[in-house]
Amino acid sequence: MSADTAAPAALTADAAVVGAGPAGLAAALELARAGLDVLLLDEQAEPGGQYYRRPGPEVLDAVGDHRPEGGRLVARVRAAGVRVLSGHTVWGVDDDRRTLLAASPGGAAVRVRARWVVAATGAYERSVPFPGWQLPGVVTPGLAQHMSAEGVRLGRRAVVAGSGPFLLPVACALLERGVRVVAVAEAGRPYTPGPASLGALRFPARLAELASYAARLARHGVRVHQDTVVARAHGADRVEAVTLTRFSDPERVVARHGVDLLCVGYGFRPQADLPRLLGCAVDRDPATGDTVPRLTPTGRSSVPHVYVVGEAAGAAGAPTALARGRAAALDILASSGRAPDRGERRRLAVHLASLAGFTRLTAALYPAPAELVPALARRLPGPTLVCRCECVTADAVRAAAAAEGGSDVPAVKGGTRAGMGLCQARECGPALEALRAGGPGTGTVPARVPLRPLPLAAVLELADTPGEDV
Amino acid sequence: MNAYDAVIVGAGVLGAATALELAEAGLSVLVLERGAPNREGSGTTAGNLHIQAVHTRRPGQAVPLDSEALLPAQKAADGLWALAEERLDADLEVRRNGGFMVAETAEQRRELRTKHVWERRAGLRTELLDGDAARDALPLLGPTVTAATWCPHDGYANPLKAAPAYLAAARRLGARVEAFTPVTGLERRGPAWRVRTPRGRHDTPVVVNTAGPWISDVSALAGVDMRMSPVAIQMHVTVRERPVLHHLVQHIGEGMSVKQVTAGNLLLGGGWPARRMDLDGRSSAGVAGLTGNVAQAVRILPFLARLRLLRMWAGPLAATPDEMPVIGPVPGREGLYVAGGTYAFTFAPLWGETLARMIRGERPRIDVSAFAPDRLTAPAGDADPAAPAHTEKGTAPC
Ligand SMILES: Cc1cc2nc3c(=O)[nH]c(=O)nc-3n(C[C@H](O)[C@H](O)[C@H](O)COP(=O)(O)OP(=O)(O)OC[C@H]3O[C@@H](n4cnc5c(N)ncnc54)[C@H](O)[C@@H]3O)c2cc1C
Ligand SMILES: Cc1cc2nc3c(=O)[nH]c(=O)nc-3n(C[C@H](O)[C@H](O)[C@H](O)COP(=O)(O)OP(=O)(O)OC[C@H]3O[C@@H](n4cnc5c(N)ncnc54)[C@H](O)[C@@H]3O)c2cc1C
Repeated sequence: MSADTAAPAALTADAAVVGAGPAGLAAALELARAGLDVLLLDEQAEPGGQYYRRPGPEVLDAVGDHRPEGGRLVARVRAAGVRVLSGHTVWGVDDDRRTLLAASPGGAAVRVRARWVVAATGAYERSVPFPGWQLPGVVTPGLAQHMSAEGVRLGRRAVVAGSGPFLLPVACALLERGVRVVAVAEAGRPYTPGPASLGALRFPARLAELASYAARLARHGVRVHQDTVVARAHGADRVEAVTLTRFSDPERVVARHGVDLLCVGYGFRPQADLPRLLGCAVDRDPATGDTVPRLTPTGRSSVPHVYVVGEAAGAAGAPTALARGRAAALDILASSGRAPDRGERRRLAVHLASLAGFTRLTAALYPAPAELVPALARRLPGPTLVCRCECVTADAVRAAAAAEGGSDVPAVKGGTRAGMGLCQARECGPALEALRAGGPGTGTVPARVPLRPLPLAAVLELADTPGEDV
Repeated sequence: MNAYDAVIVGAGVLGAATALELAEAGLSVLVLERGAPNREGSGTTAGNLHIQAVHTRRPGQAVPLDSEALLPAQKAADGLWALAEERLDADLEVRRNGGFMVAETAEQRRELRTKHVWERRAGLRTELLDGDAARDALPLLGPTVTAATWCPHDGYANPLKAAPAYLAAARRLGARVEAFTPVTGLERRGPAWRVRTPRGRHDTPVVVNTAGPWISDVSALAGVDMRMSPVAIQMHVTVRERPVLHHLVQHIGEGMSVKQVTAGNLLLGGGWPARRMDLDGRSSAGVAGLTGNVAQAVRILPFLARLRLLRMWAGPLAATPDEMPVIGPVPGREGLYVAGGTYAFTFAPLWGETLARMIRGERPRIDVSAFAPDRLTAPAGDADPAAPAHTEKGTAPC
């Protein structure tokens, strides 16, 4: 660990991989095995990312490691000679648009220059505001999953709500910790056989996985409400109850449950800020509404030395993240003259294509976020807090968005302070974009430096000649 | 086609303030804005109300600014800012808590003394303090500060609120604002100007060019070569902090301004050049400016080192070759007025009033003949080909 964290101020490598989740680990391993000098930077204390999050020693003693294959992958990455810099946040890109700027755990400034950059920065959870979402006891499914994996029991009675396949394993993880899960509320109707769900039969294994979660929920008497969303969380100092309504008919109350834990999330959206800072072209994904980098099938961006892999390239789950990481690595190896096995690249391409097929089918089961999020945002009651950091209501955002003559997202931010707080629109971004909905001007939240709040002391260290003018 | 008494090009703070003044005088006013209002210089500005004399020259600045000549305007603007919130019936977070201008070197101390004399002459009360007296007054100041001037009038107004409030007040009086409507043509038609946009044209006797960084482009539409150049500079802001700094702190020898805003964030700026100016999109802030600004700010206010940077941004402004403001009628183009240049945010209430008075044939509050546009214009056709129309500059006052 100590070797990981002692970092000189300027580092060079053949490849710098940012993000040590499945995608980054897979890319780093492949590159290092072929003899490239690889740096792997990750802001967390231990490599693993979201899916392979490594348990700390106390957690390991208490609950064990629920994904030991993650530990094995990390061990192989280290054994292959990858220089792993944990606790290192990449917060920006230098004025050359190439050098990565990172801060070490101690706040020391680190410049990283590499021939190739692989952004494997993962995803954010997609949140949509609702009245009461600021109450303690309201969390995202991802957080609930992590805390449960670490043996923490977040509450006694819970509702898990939102949309996407991830809600089922999260409900199961809560059950495992002894939380009584009263209901799962899914905005779509994925679990009713229909043309879309039938297609998934070609992937019995994956379907079986979902089915096994569903069976476990049924055993525990967990109701799965479909076409159902959270209308409101109630409570004074923390969440005490939740009202669920029909998604297709917001006037219709489905249920009201007393809870002390409410997990709400609408899947994942790519964390593509770093590629944007590196100058990579991005597009709006018509199905999700997310801003995604424009990529070749092997993850190469419009900036030829920058690759984007894993969830950062588009949310598709851990197996795809692994495959994308490897595919990008093989592409880099090919373009650096280290001819990797042709057959292997072909097999990987086939594998990726079949994974993409599954991702498409799964996505087809659930409502498209590009429609779901605006629908939910439109029906938000006026006083709902949209931006929790700066306490900005839906009404205020709507008023700014409806400014005479038109308004764009930056103008809405400027006019209300929404998205200008500590999280810098990571949480309210989708809702802001949805509330503004249409019209001229830019409809997206811009990428910003620093990517995370950065100690000014770390900036000072970057200044070569303090006290002198540039 | 619509007829207006006046058409204003640009919905920054100058266009907005002018719109209110003209609407209040009973004129029918149209404001045309190529993007969303208040997104360029006026929405990205540091928002300082610079009332004490400003430093004359920053590193990288080719021409010193005539700081003494600006003082009457600064004093007048101070008086107008004091009334702005009541007049606009809006909370602009105007804070006139005073500010320090610090010096470190002997040369800078000399400059402070000179400036102090100018201020006294202009009737502006400032105090000259040695380093220890300055630290007594503001214990947050670091050990390298050897002198400072204190001006009780320096301040801040929230730029995200100022221009929108002016626009809202103007609208209440009947002014029209069309966003996302660029002016693409200015033609003289008899006694009137024909203002063209992709969404229609308007005839008007009076056109006000408050297009900020695009002043030259808009002037060119009327066949006027106006020697101004756009420059982009950048700002840095920390996460929120409990109230610690109640004054504006500037540096006499270097571009630096630091204050804490109402929301609690500390804002660091001082005219540091942006990494890239992009007049079609967003200019981007760079790391060179960040490190330079933070290094000097932490030297002067060491407590900043323990704060965290939340964000940085860049914005464009219009620089004149002599670093002074420009305001008045454009020679040879009847009914065409222009305002912009140095410290346009501080001067917004004054320039709005001044333009309105000029347009209505009244005498401005202060003599602005030194800032007249004729020093920057050459009639189309006989511009000196040797003189560059757009000077290049690294930094600009802010
Ligand atoms: C909170 C959360 C919980 C999740 N839980 C599950 C789960 O239980 N099961 C599941 O199948 N999927 C889960 N997912 C989805 C998950 O993202 C993918 O399945 C998988 O982890 C994607 O792998 P990845 O390598 O693309 O990204 P990730 O595993 O997310 O790894 C990205 C890594 O990059 C780091 N990083 C990002 N930006 C920077 C930066 N600027 N500087 C330094 N480091 C940076 C992150 O901290 C993270 O460690 C979760 C996602 C989230 C957001
Ligand atoms: C980072 C920064 C910090 C600053 N700090 C300070 C400070 O602390 N104190 C101070 O006094 N000054 C400061 N300034 C300067 C001052 O804020 C700006 O110069 C001032 O706000 C400019 O106002 P404006 O209305 O002239 O121009 P802008 O606000 O730039 O507005 C001009 C508008 O015209 C529009 N436009 C352009 N062309 C056309 C067209 N053809 N048709 C229609 N519309 C058009 C533009 O889109 C724009 O909205 C700073 C500037 C910057 C960028």
